[in-house]
Amino acid sequence: MDELTIVVPVKAAVPNITAVRLDPNTHNLVREGVPLMINPYDRNAVELALRIKDRFGGKVITISMAPPNGKDFLESTIGMGVDEGILITDRVFAGADTLATSHAIAKSIAKLYPNFSLIIMGEETTDSTTAHMPAQVASWLEIPFVYYATDAEPNIKDGTVKITRYLEDEGLLEEFIYNMPIIMSVYRNSNPPRDISLNRKIMAKVNGLVKVLTNKELGLNPDCVGLKGSPTIVAKIEDAKPLPRKKQIFQGDPKEGAKWLLENLVKEGVIR
Amino acid sequence: MVCPEWNQVNKNDYRGIWVYVEHFNGKISEGSLQLIGKAKELASKLGVDVAAIMLGKDLDKLLMEPIYYGADKVIYANDDRLSIYLPHIYAASVVELANKYKPEIILFAATKRGRELAPYVANTLRSGITADCTALDVDPKTRDLDQVRPTYGGNILAHIRTPTRRPQLASVRPNVFPTPPRDESKKGELVEEKLSKLPEPRGRYLGSKSITEEDESGLPPVEKSDIVVVAGKGVNGVEGVKLLTDLAKLLNGTIGGTKKVTDAGWLPTSRQIGQTGRTIRPALYIGMGVSGAIQHVFGMNESKIIVAVNSDPNAPIFNYVDYGIVGDYKQVAEALLELLRERKKQ
Repeated sequence: MDELTIVVPVKAAVPNITAVRLDPNTHNLVREGVPLMINPYDRNAVELALRIKDRFGGKVITISMAPPNGKDFLESTIGMGVDEGILITDRVFAGADTLATSHAIAKSIAKLYPNFSLIIMGEETTDSTTAHMPAQVASWLEIPFVYYATDAEPNIKDGTVKITRYLEDEGLLEEFIYNMPIIMSVYRNSNPPRDISLNRKIMAKVNGLVKVLTNKELGLNPDCVGLKGSPTIVAKIEDAKPLPRKKQIFQGDPKEGAKWLLENLVKEGVIR
Repeated sequence: MVCPEWNQVNKNDYRGIWVYVEHFNGKISEGSLQLIGKAKELASKLGVDVAAIMLGKDLDKLLMEPIYYGADKVIYANDDRLSIYLPHIYAASVVELANKYKPEIILFAATKRGRELAPYVANTLRSGITADCTALDVDPKTRDLDQVRPTYGGNILAHIRTPTRRPQLASVRPNVFPTPPRDESKKGELVEEKLSKLPEPRGRYLGSKSITEEDESGLPPVEKSDIVVVAGKGVNGVEGVKLLTDLAKLLNGTIGGTKKVTDAGWLPTSRQIGQTGRTIRPALYIGMGVSGAIQHVFGMNESKIIVAVNSDPNAPIFNYVDYGIVGDYKQVAEALLELLRERKKQ
């Protein structure tokens, strides 16, 4: 291995997920015409990639499948220090579930950067919160994967990478050494992202550092992407209704309120 | 046309429900046991068995546990190559077993490891997966798994199905379903499997280190207590958290916080309750200065009694309470402390 090639797939998240429009037929989120931002946790992934580049050299590429207005947030990643961005945009990719999305991302990376060393991704997205993508991309590419990385130290000479990861629910820090290439996701509370340099972002725009590719250039099988390549369907959506509750509300003197509450809790048998 | 990278699936070949039973350091994860209970309920509607899948080395002592909790059988692989958990090796093992037995449903506890493992299994089987389901049901006619999950910030519940592919995969966060009773008189079958097609490890495990976050409260974890006092952003700092910790102690309960509170460092992240934190279902939840963001509500919705104190009468939390007090949390907490101390004296 001569040089590290680090690919960071990022997602255009919808900033205000409580005020979105859903497609009445597919029940999918309508992303067209909605202002997009980078999924916040993906910035931690970009940060880890840049820290690796700062220490060990190489090239960092961000890649995203998004509507055409996704170009701007890819330029922002270049503002952070990324070398180039790839925007994959085509109607044929629309309506994809996580399997079809991961297909498009994985096959595009394999085609554009066949010699990639690392793929680094955010822990999950804040609008869908599935955390599926890193494992699914790994499955298409048939390479190992590790979630929740806090640090990674590649060794360009022998082609290995030492990965530290944190399992939050077990309070456990684990260490692995893997041969590259490998995919990792980045623990969301690690690698706080650096600022975006406006100059660099403008430079990205002026020099066209974000390439926009449609499926004409990528040549992916239309049966494997978008709605057609998605095994899951959203059969039905409904408003999340609160469970029935007593909803007794006290307004007035706090001391009286505390007394009222305690009496009720004793009556309920939850306080003895 | 179907994607040529998808294998042919004849849905009628697929029968039975699997629960992937996660274990670490000789202990089975509670979330897996909870799924056995749910799987049994679904299996009775489909007229099939529930099998627990266990992978590892020196499993013998654990093998009967899934049966004590309701599984009909345990399919397991005792293999040197599984002595250490490498995600892609474990995932490939589940795939190999699934290709052999063809279950129609595979459930995973959405622990940190489960969330890592499940999507690789699903994708390699070229099937769908739904993360963090809050409810599961089956349609006995189509045998489709109805996978319900909150989505787009949680205001909407999506019912997701995988109508043309099998198996159907889903993950569920720990404590969304109750743990079934353990019964040592239960009988079941143990089936040992040998794995043949495991991929190259391509990696090594170097070791681990426990990190105990600084936790001054000395109180039990939020999932383990019947009474949880929860601090919201409205408590305005560590002083407020301390007051509520005193209240939790007096109630023999424990202290938790919203994401805002743990993000601010007023409580350790292990005490965060909500969609990106822990799910709790205590007998009594007391939210103090909690506004009631939907992401938080998903982590406490199943509590038996919900109490909230908030100075804003329009705070969304009041839509979810049994008992609510509109007022300053501090004054109410102090009054409660006083009343409880008096009660203790009597």
